[in-house]
Amino acid sequence: MRLSHITKRFGANVAVDDVSLDLAPGEIVGLVGENGAGKTTLMSIAAGELAADEGTIEDRLTAGVVHQHFLLVSEFTIAENLALAMWGRNAEEIIRDSGIELGDVSRRVGDLSVGEKAKLELIKAIARHPPVLILDEPTSVLAPSEARALFEVMRRLAAAGTTVIFISHKIPEVLEVATRIVVMRRGKIVVDGGVMGAEELAEAMVERRERRDASEDGRPVRGGPAVEPAALRIAGLHVHPGEIVAIIGVAGNGQSELAASLRDSLRGQVAHIPEDRARDGLIAQMTIAENIALAEPRWRPREAAHRAAALIERFIIRAQSPLQRAGSLSGGNQQKVILARELERQPRIIVAAEPTRGLDIESTRFIHDELRAAAGRGAAILLITSDLDEAFALGDAIHVIYRGTLSARLTPGEAAVQAPMLMAGVGSRESGAGA
Amino acid sequence: MSGLRRPTPDSRLPRIAIAIGAALLSLILLALCGIAFGHAPGELLSILISGSVGSTFALEGTLLKSVPLLLTGLSVAIAFRAGVWNIGGEGQFLAGALGAFLGARYGMAAALAASLIAGALWASIATAMRLWRNAPEVLTTILLNFIAIHLLGYAVNGPLQEASGKYPQSDVVAASLPTFGSSELHAGIVIAVVAAIGAWFLLYRTAEGLRLRASGFNRSAAKWAGVHVDAQLVRAMAISGAMAGLAGGIELLGVTHRLFERFAAGYGYAGIAVALLAQLHPLGTLASAFFFGALTTGAGELQRTAGISSTVATFGQAIVILAMIALTRRRNA
Repeated sequence: MRLSHITKRFGANVAVDDVSLDLAPGEIVGLVGENGAGKTTLMSIAAGELAADEGTIEDRLTAGVVHQHFLLVSEFTIAENLALAMWGRNAEEIIRDSGIELGDVSRRVGDLSVGEKAKLELIKAIARHPPVLILDEPTSVLAPSEARALFEVMRRLAAAGTTVIFISHKIPEVLEVATRIVVMRRGKIVVDGGVMGAEELAEAMVERRERRDASEDGRPVRGGPAVEPAALRIAGLHVHPGEIVAIIGVAGNGQSELAASLRDSLRGQVAHIPEDRARDGLIAQMTIAENIALAEPRWRPREAAHRAAALIERFIIRAQSPLQRAGSLSGGNQQKVILARELERQPRIIVAAEPTRGLDIESTRFIHDELRAAAGRGAAILLITSDLDEAFALGDAIHVIYRGTLSARLTPGEAAVQAPMLMAGVGSRESGAGA
Repeated sequence: MSGLRRPTPDSRLPRIAIAIGAALLSLILLALCGIAFGHAPGELLSILISGSVGSTFALEGTLLKSVPLLLTGLSVAIAFRAGVWNIGGEGQFLAGALGAFLGARYGMAAALAASLIAGALWASIATAMRLWRNAPEVLTTILLNFIAIHLLGYAVNGPLQEASGKYPQSDVVAASLPTFGSSELHAGIVIAVVAAIGAWFLLYRTAEGLRLRASGFNRSAAKWAGVHVDAQLVRAMAISGAMAGLAGGIELLGVTHRLFERFAAGYGYAGIAVALLAQLHPLGTLASAFFFGALTTGAGELQRTAGISSTVATFGQAIVILAMIALTRRRNA
């Protein structure tokens, strides 16, 4: 199977950028990269679930896909779920064929452990003996022993001639099982080759970035030891007034929980830019003026409309009127409304989670400038981001979050060296904190 | 569906048009159903209209019916605006009436205050269950209705039964609302209209109202914006219960003057129809309560002159709710 010059765009965002990839039978391809590097999109195109905007696929083969999220009917038994996938075949026989053990087939899927559900998904995918099998982050929910059992199945399938593609961001696992490693970054394949060392792989995944000199982007250097007491201080983390501390990490390592715990424990004292803009950002049914006034102690409709109009102008929000429904704005403009509201509070502490995710360059730059300006006015800013460029562009200090645990406070220089390894959990000293 | 999305979602006019359309539709369907019973549609409509607004007497009846409907409608509108599914207007109505009966010994003001407090407390049982055990209020408020109904049944058969012990009803309540001249129309109508304006002011002119509406639209986003959403839940439920309780108190003090077993007579549930037709807007509730009041009074006239059961009023309510659902599309899909 040969993918050539595949390009896929989502709006202005190029998810897969002119990628070519040959797949040979019997390979176990470890496809690695940061979140948003384009791994899943590329594989969806290979599996025929998504159409490419450009490029061709030669010798297309059927691919069995195990998705990151389970596609199972919880109310059905194992046997019923298999019947949905493969009508007419005996469930126990399908399972025996797969070589995977899964106990009693009359159990309800909703009662299974995540490990068992993952196995069931895998059984579904290989029941048709597809020549290509794509596994999207299959180990993220598995215990180490379950992951090893999965690797055994992968090796057996490969030995029988199946091409196995293993999407992961866990470097040790990829090194353990893959016979070929493909690294994607920003929609492109940057490394395609055989076995390599952990450090080499980590560096390929995450561009090594030199810290941009402060004078370069016109930001005054805020050097020296912080003299003011920290405005925000939780275990292992302190943010001083005027400082931007970035937390980076692969999504799902406790970033959302950290932001939510700050929201609940410091209600009203912290300005938030929530991560899930669509769900948590604005009240879509209410007007821009109403949304902005939510943070205010009082509500006078006319006053609020005037203030909103001023903010619309200052934050260059593309809106017809402050009385326009917030839900009718574009994503970038909604984010600017949130920013306007939160910064208007003159907050001492700002927690910004993925403030520019999915936004165009213009809005991104604007938001970065505003955050810097807020820090310049003395706000303590905690920036939670999966965009490393953003972290390095804004952060005065950086922590890496991995499995709910923060790394030591790193200078941007240190982070440029250590972050890839810490993000992948390589060489991290896990101090027993399992959550 | 996306092709049907209205281009000017901010405009108020279509909303009013939808409500008027639903009300007219229910009248037309009622009249058409009359054909099944051998009545000319026009004849039914003219009886409905003359029986509800055709004379001073009829209009007075309509206004009397509108008062409890207005208050239970406000109760539902405030709760639904906050995203709280209070279906317990019936029980809160009864709690309010019981409270008013007991409070009336200490005067009219005490009776009214007691009805507000009793309704709020009764509703707050559901809030407590929601906050501590995450029990959905849509269930607990309904179940509390049944408890309230039986509690009232016990009261009028036991401790509060009239001194003569003849019927399962209470003695005449110790206070009653003043009436306008020689009519039966009582001061409760003023209280109800003031309550509607007050509810509008609360929802649309105060910061707390803004936060209450925000919590109703999107609890999660409101939380991130710094709104204490649980406090909004507590407040909305208490105010909602207080409105329904006040409805019960006023009905007792202004109309029935006694408690009896079937005291609530569906006002609590009718409040849902009133609020929905009003699109959950307190001022819209004024018109919508009047419409349902007229429908109920007109239906009484239908029963007397055309022999059609007055339960057609309930039928009308149901049609209005269905028509409203059919005419309003989900705005924020």
